[in-house]
Amino acid sequence: MMDIVTPGYMPHEALFPIVVDAMFTKNFLLVMFLGLCSFVGLTTNSETSKGMSMAVTFVMTMSAILTWPIFYYLLKPNHLMFLQTICFILVIASFVQLVEFIIHRYSPPLYRSLGIYLPLISTNCAVLGVVLLNVKEDFSYGASIVYAFGAGLGYSWVMLATAAVREKLIMRGVDLFNGFIGAFFAAMMMALIVVSYFSVVKL
Amino acid sequence: MAEKSFVGEIIRGIIKDNPVFVLVLGLCPTLAVTTSFANGLGMSLAFAFVMLGSNIFVSAIRKITPPGVRIPVFLLIICTFVTMVDMLLEAYLPPMYEALGIFVPLIVVNCIVIGRAEAYANRNPVLPSIADAIGISIGYMLVLLLIGSIRELFGTGKLQLVMLMSGAEGIKFYNIGNPLTIPIDPAVMMITPPGAFLTIGTLMLLFKIIGDRKRIRQLRKEGVEL
Amino acid sequence: MMQLIPPAIAVLGGLGFAMAAMLVWASKAFHVETDPLVDALIELMPGANCGACGFPGCADCAEHIVAGDVTPDICTSCDAERFELIGELLGIEISTAEPTYPVILCQGGTNCKDRYDYIGADTCRAAILLAGTKKACSYGCIGLGDCVRACMFDAIEIADNGLPRIKKYNCKGCGSCVRECPQQVLTIAKEHGPVYVVCSSHDKGKYVKEICEFGCIGCGICKKNCPEGAIKLVKALAVIDQEKCTQCGTCIDVCPRNAIVKL
Repeated sequence: MMDIVTPGYMPHEALFPIVVDAMFTKNFLLVMFLGLCSFVGLTTNSETSKGMSMAVTFVMTMSAILTWPIFYYLLKPNHLMFLQTICFILVIASFVQLVEFIIHRYSPPLYRSLGIYLPLISTNCAVLGVVLLNVKEDFSYGASIVYAFGAGLGYSWVMLATAAVREKLIMRGVDLFNGFIGAFFAAMMMALIVVSYFSVVKL
Repeated sequence: MAEKSFVGEIIRGIIKDNPVFVLVLGLCPTLAVTTSFANGLGMSLAFAFVMLGSNIFVSAIRKITPPGVRIPVFLLIICTFVTMVDMLLEAYLPPMYEALGIFVPLIVVNCIVIGRAEAYANRNPVLPSIADAIGISIGYMLVLLLIGSIRELFGTGKLQLVMLMSGAEGIKFYNIGNPLTIPIDPAVMMITPPGAFLTIGTLMLLFKIIGDRKRIRQLRKEGVEL
Repeated sequence: MMQLIPPAIAVLGGLGFAMAAMLVWASKAFHVETDPLVDALIELMPGANCGACGFPGCADCAEHIVAGDVTPDICTSCDAERFELIGELLGIEISTAEPTYPVILCQGGTNCKDRYDYIGADTCRAAILLAGTKKACSYGCIGLGDCVRACMFDAIEIADNGLPRIKKYNCKGCGSCVRECPQQVLTIAKEHGPVYVVCSSHDKGKYVKEICEFGCIGCGICKKNCPEGAIKLVKALAVIDQEKCTQCGTCIDVCPRNAIVKL
């Protein structure tokens, strides 16, 4: 019989290391390898990268807010942890659909710039990854929200930086590095920086 | 339309529709779990299980799936198989379960599985769907093993081939033979994230150069002005 | 283990039902009223979102057309067939304007000398930054293809002479290339239209002779011979006043540099 530990609301972990972890040392795109399909597809120009980054950060944070209570109050007390994957997907996909309805109704310009990325995000491994990692690391409610937001920021900076690099590569006309290959080599440089520099600074 | 043969569909999944190098899907697990040959093999077997199960089921119910809700239906079916394989791994192959981490549950949002369900299994009968699943899984396995071998070989200096078989300690991943060693100082970078990007970037570059040469030769043969 | 089945069914079923109910409610509560006529018109629009009509996209233009703010012929990307379909849908007659194509007011390209060997970003905008553009003529076409990249219809390409060439069968006259050109040597003209001086160079005649085979040297012979007095010289470049021009073609014959062309 398992002890069900009532999880706390207030974060008992230090928040700053969590954010730095999410943004750099355990960056979702470069280190955890989550969200790569959207990364190679959308970093060809900075407009789409901006839209996607904002949408992903928003969905990640909201997903963390919604899924944490479901896991700790619905699944865990009933020993139904094996249902976590399906329940999380259900919640994330429904939430994204709801947001799409709301944006379409109340802000058509926002819908035109952001709304088209929303269906893309509901099956993005980064969003589900955040939620699963929150559960695995056993964060408190506050910490998991901060972690998700940090993950979104980490995703954003890598997207924007890579978009900048790839736009320049296209201009320069180096045909070999067009497309995915350029994206991978750019990602390699950034991963090198993140892994070697930030590992030295222990927090 | 020519009769699609079972074996032909399988071969298509390996070469023409190779999930990683041609369709460029499912990159996340490809880079994350290929730190060694063994991990790559484990992941591809889990993936094959899910792919096969999902294709069969989606194809079986394709006539009654309402088009508006087909994505949630696919997700539900795939999720069932993913949860199954997750629990199987946790119970019977704990070291592999530890190594693969969250990437087993993430098979559910793997673009390849949903993509093939939507593009193929939803429109074709069960037998071709099985062929498609087998082909894609073999293609994916070859990619994972290739990248895993390269990274393990250059990252640790030795390559250990493994296979899932039943043996002295029950069913688990057994080493096949001695590890293949090469006399270099291991470049630990290959095991780390930058090494993953380097490996896949270089492989794609190689395939692109080969493909371009082939295409140019083909065009020259047809007498097209270049 | 069997005792897990009822709670599993309850939780998953409950959650699924709750989400489904919420989405059904949301699809009705946040329903966006769209005029079916606007939707039908959007289907017929070219969908290129080129911006020539002045609106940010075909969907927006369709809304304004249905609202009556503008007439459909504002869309330069539509051809006669499409106008017929739109006219049928809206129940109106659409008179189509003459097709307008861009012209390049430069005959330099490979005929014009380079000022220096340029190694840099493959774009005209970058090549004009240093020492008065990479071509010896600071006003002429650079030929690195910013206009080609701006075109959404694949209607412009850089020809062998280093100048852009319009593929008229694809060109919709949207003017994206005209807006994009950093040297502003592209301009919209009617198809069988007026007479143009195809040079933009304000450099002194002696210099132009050295660097470009066809450039206008500002000699003024065209101005002297124009029966309507439609030509004037603006800083060593001849400019034709299209209002006064009768397209008689005298200037074309007398120009010593072949810098005037009737399109």
